[in-house]
Amino acid sequence: MPGRVRKRSPLKTPERPYIALGLEGSANKLGAGIIKHSPDGSTTVLSNVRHTYITPPGEGFLPRDTAKHHRDWVLTVINDALGKAAVSMHDLDCICFTRGPGMGAPLTSVALVARTLSLLYNKPLVGVNHCVGHIEMGRQITGAQNPVVLYVSGGNTQVIAYSQQCYRIFGETLDIAVGNCLDRFARVINLSNDPSPGYNIEQEAKKGRRLLPLPYTTKGMDISLSGILTSTEAYTNDKRFRGRERTAEEANADIITPQDLCFSLQETVFAMLVEITERAMAHIGSKEVLIVGGVGCNERLQEMMGIMAAGARRPSLCYRRTFLHRQWYHDSTSWFTKLPYGSGNPINEEFVHAEIKYTYPGEPETRVI
Amino acid sequence: MTDIELQWHTITVRVPFASARHASIAKQVIEVDKELQPEVVKRVLEVEGDVLVATFKTLTVRLARLVVNAYLENVDLVVRTIGEFGEDADRVL
Repeated sequence: MPGRVRKRSPLKTPERPYIALGLEGSANKLGAGIIKHSPDGSTTVLSNVRHTYITPPGEGFLPRDTAKHHRDWVLTVINDALGKAAVSMHDLDCICFTRGPGMGAPLTSVALVARTLSLLYNKPLVGVNHCVGHIEMGRQITGAQNPVVLYVSGGNTQVIAYSQQCYRIFGETLDIAVGNCLDRFARVINLSNDPSPGYNIEQEAKKGRRLLPLPYTTKGMDISLSGILTSTEAYTNDKRFRGRERTAEEANADIITPQDLCFSLQETVFAMLVEITERAMAHIGSKEVLIVGGVGCNERLQEMMGIMAAGARRPSLCYRRTFLHRQWYHDSTSWFTKLPYGSGNPINEEFVHAEIKYTYPGEPETRVI
Repeated sequence: MTDIELQWHTITVRVPFASARHASIAKQVIEVDKELQPEVVKRVLEVEGDVLVATFKTLTVRLARLVVNAYLENVDLVVRTIGEFGEDADRVL
């Protein structure tokens, strides 16, 4: 469980319990969560309520419509969070909200509500950087001490490590984010956005039979993804492309299916991500990896990262553990939470703190704690 | 005010609140976000008793429509939030 393996934090423990409300709405997910910091140094997520704006297949979410969704739902979501945590607004010690970066209109909507609540109840307001929120939440839940962070979401692709009071970016995408790349390809082949395009790509990829050649573009600790998207899209105009699944007779036929493309895209992109993460780990000498962000939900990425972290590709440098901050796709809104500090994650049953032990060579063994 | 601004379009929106405190909260909440095009839109927010008075000066009629629309959307959200939580907030523990 979170907290059990943790070393002592350099921060002082609070002398009384502190309760914080967190509000997030920087993209198409709206979230409100309540977290409690106890004097013994442990933290408990009391509630974590989300509502996602889901667009029809083939469409992305636009700032204006997303903001409208957030405006319509924000009060319901906050009330739900308070109800589930069984706390009143009066009990809170502070109100946190995502300050950015993100889409302007949705951010403004949530910030307006956060400011109104703060003034109504006379509670301090804390602006949280979206990215730092992701990392801190991941650290909190997994108990990772000083990990190399792979932050992969719809808008961000970065390899990050902490040094001298600051998160430093070691590498990042040179063009589009990995989530953006996957989502846009989902739009090309008209996959559903429910619960999320990334989830549906992952399911389709499991049925893929064929690994098609795609550009592999890592540059130091940076990667480039837009060319891969274009190349994958180009395959849909190939003569061998069929807009449907492979039938039993076609098992070995020379055709390309949308499933093959999802599979090839995932394999190529994730291999690149794992490579740049490994490079950053070797550079820093860190033994921990933490994957945060929406794409972190992808079990194939988690698996590939696990193999890397166990030192399969480099037996001499055996990293001790991988922290997978992962969440099941149990409802339409649970594609890895994006709540800022002060909010967080559903309680135990939805979260798994997995310690993956890979023996090299041979089959990996995953032990879920 | 410059001479050019005198020729701009002016719109005044008066929104009544239940109390002067709520009107002042709305003003403080909305005032933080600056107008996106400050060179063509001037906004003044004031509280008169329990009424929130917003005065917009814009270069074009189209801009006037856009800013007032955005402003009303924001006021609507703040009003709904106060409506939902205002009573509870005033409750003394």
